[in-house]
Amino acid sequence: MPSESSSVVEQSFPIEGATEAAPFAPATGFDDSVMLRAEDLRKEYRSGSQPLVLFDGLNLTVHRGEMVAIVGESGSGKSTLLHLMAALDRPTAGDVYCASTWLGKLTATQAAAFRNREIGYVWQLHYLLPEFTALENAAMPLLARDEPRSTAFAKARELLREVGLEARTHHLAGELSGGEQQRVSLARALVTQPRLLLADEPTGNLDNHTAEAVFGLLERLHTMHRLTSILVTHNMEIAAHCGRTLRLHEGRLHEVRLQAGRSEDTSRQMATASSEAPGHPIVRTAFPGGNTAGTA
Amino acid sequence: MRFELFIASRYLRAKRRQAVVGVITAISIVGVAAGVASLIVALAITNGMRRDLQQRLLGSTAHISLMRVAGDGIEHWQALTDRLRHLPHVTAAAPALYGQVLISRGARSGGALVKGILPQQERTVSTLLNSVKEGSAAALAPSPSSGAPSPNAATPPLVIGSDLAQQIGASIGDTVLVTSPQGELTPFGLVPKYQRFQVTGIFHSGFYDYDSSYALARLTDVQHLFGEPNLVSVISFKVDDLYHADRIGREIERAAGKGFMTTNWMEQNRELFRALRLEQVVTFIVIGLIVCVAALNILIALTMMVMEKTRDIAVLMSYGVRPAQVRRIFLWQGMLISILGTTIGLALGYGLSWAGGHYRFIHLSAQVYSLDYLPFAPRWQDGVIVALVSLGVSLLATLYPSSSAAKILPAEALRYE
Repeated sequence: MPSESSSVVEQSFPIEGATEAAPFAPATGFDDSVMLRAEDLRKEYRSGSQPLVLFDGLNLTVHRGEMVAIVGESGSGKSTLLHLMAALDRPTAGDVYCASTWLGKLTATQAAAFRNREIGYVWQLHYLLPEFTALENAAMPLLARDEPRSTAFAKARELLREVGLEARTHHLAGELSGGEQQRVSLARALVTQPRLLLADEPTGNLDNHTAEAVFGLLERLHTMHRLTSILVTHNMEIAAHCGRTLRLHEGRLHEVRLQAGRSEDTSRQMATASSEAPGHPIVRTAFPGGNTAGTA
Repeated sequence: MRFELFIASRYLRAKRRQAVVGVITAISIVGVAAGVASLIVALAITNGMRRDLQQRLLGSTAHISLMRVAGDGIEHWQALTDRLRHLPHVTAAAPALYGQVLISRGARSGGALVKGILPQQERTVSTLLNSVKEGSAAALAPSPSSGAPSPNAATPPLVIGSDLAQQIGASIGDTVLVTSPQGELTPFGLVPKYQRFQVTGIFHSGFYDYDSSYALARLTDVQHLFGEPNLVSVISFKVDDLYHADRIGREIERAAGKGFMTTNWMEQNRELFRALRLEQVVTFIVIGLIVCVAALNILIALTMMVMEKTRDIAVLMSYGVRPAQVRRIFLWQGMLISILGTTIGLALGYGLSWAGGHYRFIHLSAQVYSLDYLPFAPRWQDGVIVALVSLGVSLLATLYPSSSAAKILPAEALRYE
C-alpha cells in the first residue's frame, strides 16, 4: 500500500508557537526512515493502593509511510498508547520519539504546537464542536495557529471536498449523519497536512457499510497525503487492510498475520531482538529487530 | 487572539446543553448591567446634589477673599479694589466690612454677622442679594439724589436672613436694634454702640449658616456703627476659573503687597466638600457590590461552562490548541459577558440620568432640600471609572475558571467519554 513512502524527504520538526527549543532525540542511532519510536514504555494508573499497569517495557517502531493497525481487547491500553504517541499523555517510564522530536521532554505548549503541526488525530466519536459548522470544525486547527480565516477556510473547504462533503460545509455538526461527522473529523485531522495520522477506532461507532466507506477514504487519504498512519481498531477486516497489524496483549505488542478474515497470531513478542529482519526498509518492523510478518 | 475571541463569542451565543448555564449567563449580564446602571444613576445624583450645592454656595460666597494678616482692616480700599479688579483671571471685586453684632427686637435677640456692602459691587461677587424673598434689597442702594446714603439716617435699611428673622420675630418694616460689642469709652465705662435699623428685606439662600446669622447693610452704615469710617475688612473677588482659586489668590496676595492674605471658597468649605466626596465614595462602594455579585455569577457561569465543555476543551487541545489559548477563550467568555452587561448598564444609566435631569420626575421637599426636584449630573468620567471597575472585577472572576480550563488534561478528560 504505502509504496511511495520511501520517497518521503526527511525534515526536522520545527515547533511553532513554542518559546523554548524543542528537545530532540539523541543523534546516535537515529534512523531517518523511522517516523515513530517508543522505547521501554511503561504506563500505570493509580487505582486505590494498587497501581494498574497497562504496559511495561513496550517497544514500537513505525516507519514513514506505514499504515499500522493496533488491535486488542478493550482495556488493553490501545487508546492510551495512541495518547502517548500524540503527546496527549506522558508515560510513567520510557520514551517516545516522533522523527527527531523527543516527546517526553516537550512542555505543554510545545506539545500542543507539535500536535498542531505533526499529528492528525481521529477519535471513535467524531468530537466535532456542536456550535460550529462543518467548515469551521475542519478549519479549527488552522485557526488555532492564527492562520488568516480566508486561508484556513479555503484549505478546510478543499479537505471537505476530498472527503465528499463539499455540499455540507455550512451545516452544524448536529445536522450531519454519523458517517459525515467522522468524515469532517478526518478533514479536520488532515487540514494541517500532518505527517502522522493517529486514529482511535475511527469506524467503531459506524455501521458496517459506513465503516467500510470511511476506512476506504482513510486509506485513500493515507496514500494521497503520504501519511504514516496508526489505527486502533477492533475490526479485523479493517486491520487486514493495513500494512501491518499489531496486537496489544498483556502489555506487550505482538505482530499478527491477517488473511481474509482469518488471523494468525505469530505469538512472537515484538521486543525480541533480531536485526536481520529482511524486507523493504519501509515495511520492515521496527521493534528492535522485529519480524516482517504481514507487512509485505 | 482572533481564534480565542471567535470561539468565546460562539460559545456565548450557542444553545446550551445545560439550560442552567444559559440562565446563569443571562443573570450575569443582567446583574452587571443593573450594577453599572445603578452606579451611573447614583453618581449622577450625588454629582447633581454636589453641583447644586456648589452653585448655591458659590453664589453666596466670593471665590477669593483678601484681608489683612493682622486683621486691622484695609485702608485706601477704593484704590486697591480698582487695581486688583484688573488683575488677570479676576472678573469682579467688591469691598465689605464684617462685624459681630447682636440684633434684637423687643425681648428677642440673636447674634449675627453684619456685612456692610456696596450693593452694586456686591452683586458682581455674590448672589445673596438676589435671594431676597420678602421685601427688597433696593433700599441698600445709594439714594439717587445724594449719590450716597446718609450715615446719619435715623433707621438705615437692613436685609437679614430668614432664620434670623424668625428667631427674633422680625418682619418687613420692623425696626431692630443692632448692638456692636466694640463699645465707646464713656465716663461710665465701656458702653456698647448701638443703632436702630429697619428691616427692608429677608433673604433665603438655602444655607442655614447664612440664613440664621447674616445681615446685610450699607457699607457706610456699618462703618459708622463700628466707628471705622474708612476701613473695610475684606475685598471679595470672583475669578474666571474657580478651580484655580488658590493660584489666583496667591497672585492677588502678591499684587496687594505685604501684610495681606487670601482665603478661597475651597478652603472655607473644605469639610463640606470632603463630606460630599466621602458620601460619593461610600455610595460607589455600596452600589458597586451589585457588580461584585454579578461577577460572582460570571464565575459560576464560567465554572459550569468549563465543566460542560471539558470534552470540547480536550478535543481542542488534541489538535494543538495551547493551554494559554484555552485560558484566553474563557477569559474572553467572561469579558464578553461583562462588556455586554457594562454596555447595557452604561446606556441604561446615562439614559435614566438624562431623563431624570430633563423631566425632573423625582420631586423633593423644597423646604428640606432647597430644591423641588432631584438633580442629575452624569459625567463621562464616572462612566469610564464604572466601566473599568466592572470589567476589572469581572476579569478577576474569570481567572479561576479560565485557569482551571487550561489545566485540563486531554487524555484524562477523554478517557471515560
